[in-house]
Amino acid sequence: MPAADTRPLDVLDEPRLVEACLAQRAGAFDLIVERHRRAVYQLCYRFVGNHEDASDLSQDVFLRAYRGLRSFRGQSTLATWLYRIGVNVCLNRVSAKTTLGKLTEPIEEKQFVDLRAESPSEALLKEERAARVRAAVARLPRKQRATLILRTYHEMSHQEIADALGSSVGAVKANFFHALGNLKKLLGTDEI
Amino acid sequence: MHLNTEELIDIAEGARPESAAPHLAACEPCRAQLADLRAMMSAAKDVSVPEPSPLFWDHLSSRVREAVATEAVPRRSWLDVARWSRGVLDPMLAVAAVGLLLAVIIPGMRAPAPAFPPAPVGVAIPPPTVVADAVVAPELLKDVTDDASLTLVASLTDGVDLDIAREAGLAPRGSAEHAVTHMSDVELRELGRLLKEELARSGA
Repeated sequence: MPAADTRPLDVLDEPRLVEACLAQRAGAFDLIVERHRRAVYQLCYRFVGNHEDASDLSQDVFLRAYRGLRSFRGQSTLATWLYRIGVNVCLNRVSAKTTLGKLTEPIEEKQFVDLRAESPSEALLKEERAARVRAAVARLPRKQRATLILRTYHEMSHQEIADALGSSVGAVKANFFHALGNLKKLLGTDEI
Repeated sequence: MHLNTEELIDIAEGARPESAAPHLAACEPCRAQLADLRAMMSAAKDVSVPEPSPLFWDHLSSRVREAVATEAVPRRSWLDVARWSRGVLDPMLAVAAVGLLLAVIIPGMRAPAPAFPPAPVGVAIPPPTVVADAVVAPELLKDVTDDASLTLVASLTDGVDLDIAREAGLAPRGSAEHAVTHMSDVELRELGRLLKEELARSGA
């Protein structure tokens, strides 16, 4: 058995960091969470369209990742592995009720809209447009939504998305095509 | 023929040049569809997730830490558990099945032949059924298959390799199970022959 890596956690590569977690080294999993929490939260937020559910789902993603650390083989990046878990958690947990009931967060609740770079009215208009797109994305059929989110925001390849969703590259491209078509329809008819 | 969805996506993403699809130049609907795809990709790309409070990130980490603390150590996945079950339960079931079969067969070999009335003349005795290298009378198999518990064990142990049971050390040295699981092919064939002789002598 190789000797435990005693270097500081922040210099370890991903497989070593995972090994450190499995060896119960203090702070190792905290570091994984710290590095990936923003991306995981954003993935969940894009699925559900509201902070509360995204927060709960993010916690669930990391808990499942912790439970499944032994199965991480380093064949993909830790980020891709976490996205795959995230997508499955979201697909399993997201119900139509959750999505439709909460996705239209009042714009006043959104924090830290940066008003410095543009005029307040421009910033608000931009945020309103963004809210419409987010709401439309969150209303897409689940697999189309997953495909669009992973492809557009997390830059996963078609093959990686196919692996995550258990489908083929052709199906991923078809889902992406239909997701964009439905997005156009939703944005064309919705008045949020 | 119009471009299909895959071709349109490849061109919209830049994975394939427009020049690779000469049809585009002559087809207004395909060009319009391609423009729509690009517009939606751009509209979606520009949208960021609202930034939560800076305090949220530490709060999320704390929640995860608390949840993980109740887990103690990373748990075995269900796949691991299933593999473990296959490795341990299957040999146990195999040993149980062998034990049950021996319990049925061996007493029959050692007990004196029962004084059954001779078979009526003209009644055909069904030939023995060959199972692997051993030979078992069909009546005996019928008794075994009629027994619900034995049927259950048989179905549970179907396909179990006795070598796995031996490697798992579940057949203690000196036991009948140990003896059977350590026999060579020649010895197993000899056991089958002896069983056949014993069953024939007992009139089964």
